[in-house]
Amino acid sequence: MVNLTKLYAVGGQITRIVHEWCLTPIDTHLKRGFDKMENAWLIPLFPLLSFLLLLLIGKRLKEASAYVGILMTLASLVFSILVLLERFSEPTYLYRFDWLTIGEMHLTAGFEVNQLNALMLFIVSLVSFLVHTYSKGYMHGDERFHVFYAYLGLFTFAMLGLVISPNILQTYIFWELVGLGSFLLIGFYYYKEEAKAAAKKAFIMTRIGDVGLLIGMILLFWQTNSFEYSEIFKAVEAGAISNTMITLTAILIFIGAIGKSGQFPLHTWLPDAMEGPTPVSALIHAATMVAAGVYLVAALFPLFLASKTALMTVAVIGGFTAIFAASIGLVQTDIKRVLAYSTVSQLGYMMLALGSAGYVAGVFHLMTHAFFKALLFLAAGSVIHAVHTQNIEEMGGLWKKLKFTAPLFLIGTLAISGVPGLSGFFSKDEILVAAWEGGHPVLFLLALIAAFMTAFYMFRLFFMVFTGENRGKQTHVHESPSTMTLPMLLLGILAVVAGYVNTPWFGSFLGDWLTDGNPVLGHGHIEGPAWIMAAATIVSLAGILLAYLIYGKRSIAPDWLSGKGDMLHTVLYNKYYIDEFYQMTVVAFVTGFSYLLRFIDVFIVEGIIKGVTGIIQGLGKLGSKMQTGQVQTYGAVAFVGLAVLVVIYALTGGYLR
Amino acid sequence: MNLHAVLSLLVFSPLVGIIVLAILPKSQEIAIKAVGFLATLPPLALSLAVYAHYLAGKSLSDFSVSVPWIQFRGLQPDEPAYAVNYELAISGFQLLLVVLTSVVSTLAALGACRFIKKEWKGYFMLFLLLVTGMLGLFTAENMVLFFIFFEVTLIPTFFLIGKWGYFEKEKAAFSFLIYNGFGSAVLLIVIMILLAKTGTTNIVMLKEIIADPSVGLSADFKLGLFIALLIAFGVKLPIFPLHSWMLRVHVQAPPSVVMIHSGILLKIGAYGLIRFGMGIFPDQFKQLAVLLAILGVINLLYGAFLAFIQTDFKMVLAYSSISHMGIVLMGLAAMNEAGIQGAIFQVVSHGLISALLFFLVGVLYERTETSLIGNLGGLAKGMPLTAGFLLAAAMASLGLPGMSGFVSEFMAFLGLFKVEPWIAAVGSIGIIMTAVYLLRAVLGMTFGKAFRDFDGVLDLRGLELVPVLVLMLLIVLIGVYPSVLSSPLQATLETIMLGLGG
Repeated sequence: MVNLTKLYAVGGQITRIVHEWCLTPIDTHLKRGFDKMENAWLIPLFPLLSFLLLLLIGKRLKEASAYVGILMTLASLVFSILVLLERFSEPTYLYRFDWLTIGEMHLTAGFEVNQLNALMLFIVSLVSFLVHTYSKGYMHGDERFHVFYAYLGLFTFAMLGLVISPNILQTYIFWELVGLGSFLLIGFYYYKEEAKAAAKKAFIMTRIGDVGLLIGMILLFWQTNSFEYSEIFKAVEAGAISNTMITLTAILIFIGAIGKSGQFPLHTWLPDAMEGPTPVSALIHAATMVAAGVYLVAALFPLFLASKTALMTVAVIGGFTAIFAASIGLVQTDIKRVLAYSTVSQLGYMMLALGSAGYVAGVFHLMTHAFFKALLFLAAGSVIHAVHTQNIEEMGGLWKKLKFTAPLFLIGTLAISGVPGLSGFFSKDEILVAAWEGGHPVLFLLALIAAFMTAFYMFRLFFMVFTGENRGKQTHVHESPSTMTLPMLLLGILAVVAGYVNTPWFGSFLGDWLTDGNPVLGHGHIEGPAWIMAAATIVSLAGILLAYLIYGKRSIAPDWLSGKGDMLHTVLYNKYYIDEFYQMTVVAFVTGFSYLLRFIDVFIVEGIIKGVTGIIQGLGKLGSKMQTGQVQTYGAVAFVGLAVLVVIYALTGGYLR
Repeated sequence: MNLHAVLSLLVFSPLVGIIVLAILPKSQEIAIKAVGFLATLPPLALSLAVYAHYLAGKSLSDFSVSVPWIQFRGLQPDEPAYAVNYELAISGFQLLLVVLTSVVSTLAALGACRFIKKEWKGYFMLFLLLVTGMLGLFTAENMVLFFIFFEVTLIPTFFLIGKWGYFEKEKAAFSFLIYNGFGSAVLLIVIMILLAKTGTTNIVMLKEIIADPSVGLSADFKLGLFIALLIAFGVKLPIFPLHSWMLRVHVQAPPSVVMIHSGILLKIGAYGLIRFGMGIFPDQFKQLAVLLAILGVINLLYGAFLAFIQTDFKMVLAYSSISHMGIVLMGLAAMNEAGIQGAIFQVVSHGLISALLFFLVGVLYERTETSLIGNLGGLAKGMPLTAGFLLAAAMASLGLPGMSGFVSEFMAFLGLFKVEPWIAAVGSIGIIMTAVYLLRAVLGMTFGKAFRDFDGVLDLRGLELVPVLVLMLLIVLIGVYPSVLSSPLQATLETIMLGLGG
């Protein structure tokens, strides 16, 4: 009765694409080549398939689940590389179909491959693939091994979906799904109270930001009648939106980015998120999801550019977060927490770059940071795997025992510290130049100090873990299996060479390509005074030197500046008491307000009802008491009634109207 | 087949089950359960057939039926004749509710097979009567018929709560009856006034008559009628402060009844507001739109904050229902396509989600004999499937994209932000609070250390998986491909917008 073609029509265009794609003979596919950008929509689907498969049959596959995950992300990676290569020579590809009809409005979904998307696809699928491989060793023996891989698949799907979205609504949808993946993986060890609290906190803190994004997006929609990035930019360019509205929406959207990217004041969830398994920290809380905030600002860059105030906000929040988080990182003793604060700080750096109109600098640092921070986390995971503790006070002297991990960790440390020649050096230099040229000397200074701190705390970490005497109880320390070390090796190579795609010496290939066809985004490379590079090198080396003197050579006592137990140290160690502050203000307020409402609910709302029912019951009882059966009473009542009627009759003169 | 008979068949087919049940002996547990369940299948099949008919591109008006029923002349010779016909019809909006009703009914019947432990015969007879009532009121084309079916839902529900509920079941049942009785009394008065003044209760005709300025009904009079309707359906929705009865019902009624109650019966309030409030009195609705938006936000926040401090998971869900119905009000108050469509989506979406949640609560209670959050904890270890679905349902409820809750919330907010950005902005706090209270409750039950040993406790199994999977799939389907709901709605939406003059 229901004919098939009609069903397809209803099933919409998705069905049609899949259908056509399946019906196309295989040789046509081969001729067309899978590398066409029009097939880029398949990239997020592989990990989704992995998620669904593992959900259904993961329990039976046990640790073989890893192969499903690894193969699927490998497929995504291969596609991403092909798409990226193709995007170098071909123009942007955009595909859309109607997703939701509301009266006259047609909201669309689809995918787009522009420069930024193509680059992000590559970064995300690469890191995800490496983390999938690494986890095979790291998670070995875990009871819920297959669940872990299923969640990884879900996260990767969402993240890839996020970066391929052509409109802000779809971005928001995947934005939230990414948050779900993050939440599930932070709470992976669900039986631990800390993991439970951390997962909850991560979800709620990012959701606070998400509401900002949601409102900003909706307001933009009513200004432009579209969620499409291209339409929004057109409207901005045409001056169809008032300045106030641009500033307002840009800042609201930025609030979303603050939540996701762990910027001050919504940063507190990110360090706690380290309760998740370490590969997760590498993938989600270092390389990909937390960079989504930066990506969002970059994707909407023309909107931000249109408002000086919005840009300034981004820069100030970013700059402040960079130095704020770095200062906390100086004194933490948990290896993953140091890295977490470092991530917060580096994300602040990227925001600072974007806020200073340094589009290329921000995106460039996003890329290099993804590589070296993923490396650092994986290496830290390898260390934790070996010594079964995260406390750096209980480590030391591991250089000889972890012959493979240690040098790779050093590479990562050098890269993040901005030592010349490694990737971090080039991208950090770009940011400093952008900050200087952007005309914020104070922000520039903040960035410089943060760079010094970064070099210091990273080398503090390195020296405490790998040099000196072993302070731990662990005696059987051995290197991790090759499934763990190989991904680290690859990231190590990238952490060294990734910077050379955009250097003042060999040309700014990345920058030129990113800004190609989009003059609004600025030039590929901003020329800055040469002394900036020198200054960056000096602060970074100075940081390393100081760390060496204190923690390597131990010629300066750690408490030379501020004795342990000193105010400053305590404040930093307790992360400026921000968590406690929120606990005392926001949480206390919400709880108090809820109890106030409960008072209203129980006593006032219920009370009124009880009063009404009481009156009715009373009337009823009164009525029933009337029925006494005494004829005298009835007679008396009847007589009184008659008397009243007579009085009324007399008063109205006999006319009742 | 004569299409005109389809709706009548759809509505009254559960009665066949009642007759069969009546002749079955009380002791035949399995046969009674089987009949009770099977009797929900004909309406399900028919409603899906109607949906298929729609998908095939044919008109839903093929199903309309109108037969003269009650007629009487006025006392004065010049008075018009009063006529109440037996008339059923179905529009896209009604179709969605009918499908929702029949799906949830079938699943609730499955749930009842597990959760109801005594006197199955009486239970299923009342249950099937309730199903007929619900299907009837969603297809009734005039207000008298609507009212009759409305009353048909009240009485079985009263007994289902009062007899098969938990410890304070009688109190809850009476509370239900008093509030709803009050609501329906107000509704009856409105219907009688309309009949007396216009000579008809047919919804389409009423709409025209009310809109016609030449008919001598003053604006204040119409406003009064609209406010009366608002109160009548406000009890059902429920709108703050008319909500306390439904808290008790949510906690005390058996889970399979709450699935229906929270899933469908609460939606009658929204349906009435849209069909009669907005449909017949669009101008009055407009007049009070800001008030409704504020009431919506109050509902949303009031429910959310109170859900945050509850110790019983059922209470969390009860307040959560209040909160989610606030979104319906907000969407309607926006008076634009996005808002109204969001409200209707929310009606369907919340129906599915709360049915799922209460089914899971039923499963939990059956195994652990508690629904107190403090008495649970670490359930993910012993009952991974239940815990997983509970979390998934909570995610749907807090509006995670990819599930039905998001699309609804998003459209409601989209609509309201256009007309009342400040009210909507205050309401958006609710989005955060929803996540806060749901995660607090669900993680409290499933994550963390196990409060006690749940080792012997069985996970979801066998037939129990059917309702869970069906509801979950529908929730995801709507979230991923919302056109399944939005395309039948477009015609209804157009009519409403025409009435609103926009």
